[in-house]
Amino acid sequence: SFTFETILVEWKRGSKDWTSFVDVLMSVVADSPPHSSSSDDFATLLEAELDAISDASADPEEVAEGEDGGGGGDGDEDDCDLNFKSVKRRKVELSDDIVETPSSSSQGEPAKTSGLSLEKIMCPHPGVYAGMCMRCGQKMDDESGVAFGYIHKNLRLANDEIARVRDKDLKKLLGQRKLYLVLDLDHTLLNSARLLDITVEEGYLHGQGDALPDSLKSSLYRLNWMQMMTKLRPFVHTFLKEASKMFEMYIYTMGERPYALEMAKLLDPGDIYFNSKVIAQGDCTKRHQKGLDVVLGQESAVLILDDTEAVWGKHKENLILMERYHFFSASCKQFGFKCKSLSELRSDESETEGALASVLKSLQRIHSLFFDPERKDGLLDRDVRQVLKTVRTDVLKGCRLVFSRVIPTNSQAQHHHLWKIAEQLGATCSNELDPSVTHVVSMDAGTDKSRWAVKEKKFLVNPRWIEASNYLWQKQPEENFPVNQAKNK
Amino acid sequence: MFFHIVLERNMQLHPRHFGRDLRDKLVSKLMKDVEGTCSGRHGFIVAITGIENVGKGLIRDGTGFVTFPVKYQCVVFRPFKGEIVEAVVTMVNKMGFFAEAGPVQIFVSNHLIPDDMEFQSGDVPNYTTSDGSVKIQKESEVRLKIIGTRVDATEIFCIGTIKDDFLGVISDPGANP
Repeated sequence: SFTFETILVEWKRGSKDWTSFVDVLMSVVADSPPHSSSSDDFATLLEAELDAISDASADPEEVAEGEDGGGGGDGDEDDCDLNFKSVKRRKVELSDDIVETPSSSSQGEPAKTSGLSLEKIMCPHPGVYAGMCMRCGQKMDDESGVAFGYIHKNLRLANDEIARVRDKDLKKLLGQRKLYLVLDLDHTLLNSARLLDITVEEGYLHGQGDALPDSLKSSLYRLNWMQMMTKLRPFVHTFLKEASKMFEMYIYTMGERPYALEMAKLLDPGDIYFNSKVIAQGDCTKRHQKGLDVVLGQESAVLILDDTEAVWGKHKENLILMERYHFFSASCKQFGFKCKSLSELRSDESETEGALASVLKSLQRIHSLFFDPERKDGLLDRDVRQVLKTVRTDVLKGCRLVFSRVIPTNSQAQHHHLWKIAEQLGATCSNELDPSVTHVVSMDAGTDKSRWAVKEKKFLVNPRWIEASNYLWQKQPEENFPVNQAKNK
Repeated sequence: MFFHIVLERNMQLHPRHFGRDLRDKLVSKLMKDVEGTCSGRHGFIVAITGIENVGKGLIRDGTGFVTFPVKYQCVVFRPFKGEIVEAVVTMVNKMGFFAEAGPVQIFVSNHLIPDDMEFQSGDVPNYTTSDGSVKIQKESEVRLKIIGTRVDATEIFCIGTIKDDFLGVISDPGANP
């Protein structure tokens, strides 16, 4: 009977090709008992033998002999010659344990030369998967580049590679007339609440099947294993379908990965929109901050839809702020609203006139402005952030605002957030009344400025008018935002 | 590659199992503990084929547990650098694709996919040649070469390539073999 040692010795002597070695091996395994000396010995033996063989194959003379021998000796396995050639071109190596064996990793791409010498091409190491370069297989332990755990949990990409992929991808997407859209989950596309936070008035939500009202049957989900309920925002499926025609979409949430993946399944059961594009809290490179550094898209072509501005510190110019979706009572309480929630009122946001419908219209507008054939500049020179700014400044264009009882007197007026939002929306703001003023934004109808507005037939609106115009991307009817007399005058 | 080797393991057994079926219980516990696990040295232990020897049990001080050294034969699977394997594609994205060969997950990056194959996103993400004749998508079978392996505590990761001759798609998903 054979032992492994004898097989290997025979193989070396006869220079048989790889396939025949495997055949012999398999037949030996079938016929004879397993190698009976300790397993440590065996592994070492195999490694040593294979290393010795590969050293021998680096010798050009032996390579030539081997090829002749292989061709002549195995008439019935002709195609194995070529396998044999390609094996001999590279060093076969077993430095695979956790302990590194020095200097024995083979570098560079295999060269398609005659096989007599290895060209060591310097590998740029574009990325690392599980500690190995994904192009040449070399062990790499450095932590440079950015982790893309959401694509695969052991994947890191070098900065050059990220830039290369972004560039290549952008050209492809622009060719398809698409841009990138990053979507937040909570309060933007859906609203979640823990089961133990469901109030008595919301109790009807626990009903199953026919006990639920029709409108909720396809948008309310109970996730027992996570002890929570999720309500999808009205219009969300249509929104995603229409948006996918214009954008390559990502999910980016501050929730944890299992939650993110579960929500992605609800929004995208066919895994059409978000395959390998669900970014969760663990993927952020900075704590409590979302960043476009983990998105494989060029910043000049990315739009973000999120209800929270603060987390997008570095990318406010790409951000479209969404009005928060509060369905559950717990969500209202979390933000300090004492009113009844949509669930308690047995009501919901309008499907056709809600936030998602109106932001879709804005996205369509931005998209068509970006891809406007009348534009003189090349596609690659355009910046979606510029288009966003232009569209935004159209909202309150021509309005001149003065604030009354809105901005605390001890603070800089220009730094007040409402002042800044108004300017972003295209309005001009002032501290003084004059004939060019069009709107007085006030919290109290009894102030001098408020009275002046009424007298001069100017618009008198409360601050919500600015916020609503901001969320809905449209100048809102002023009569919907009246100012009341303050109670204590 | 598969190997048929002998390994040894110290099995601890609770006194409640002492009795007529002691050896059977030992063997079934061994199988439960060991089959499907992975070690850096040997690879994945696929199946135990036989028990070679059960040594004398040693009673542990302070507890009633007894430790038996067990020598057993098993089939192990361990991937090697340079090895050619056939694998099933499990995920495709713009960075490359992941394929599984038994218990081993292999990542083939887009750098090691032939240049004439482009990534197409959509319902079924795939890599396709310009003339559409060859397509790699989920459930496709591919022949690839392993160019690097790395061992974690319990898993083996591999990097593979299909950029060489005779590597690439073997069959389309759903096609008859």
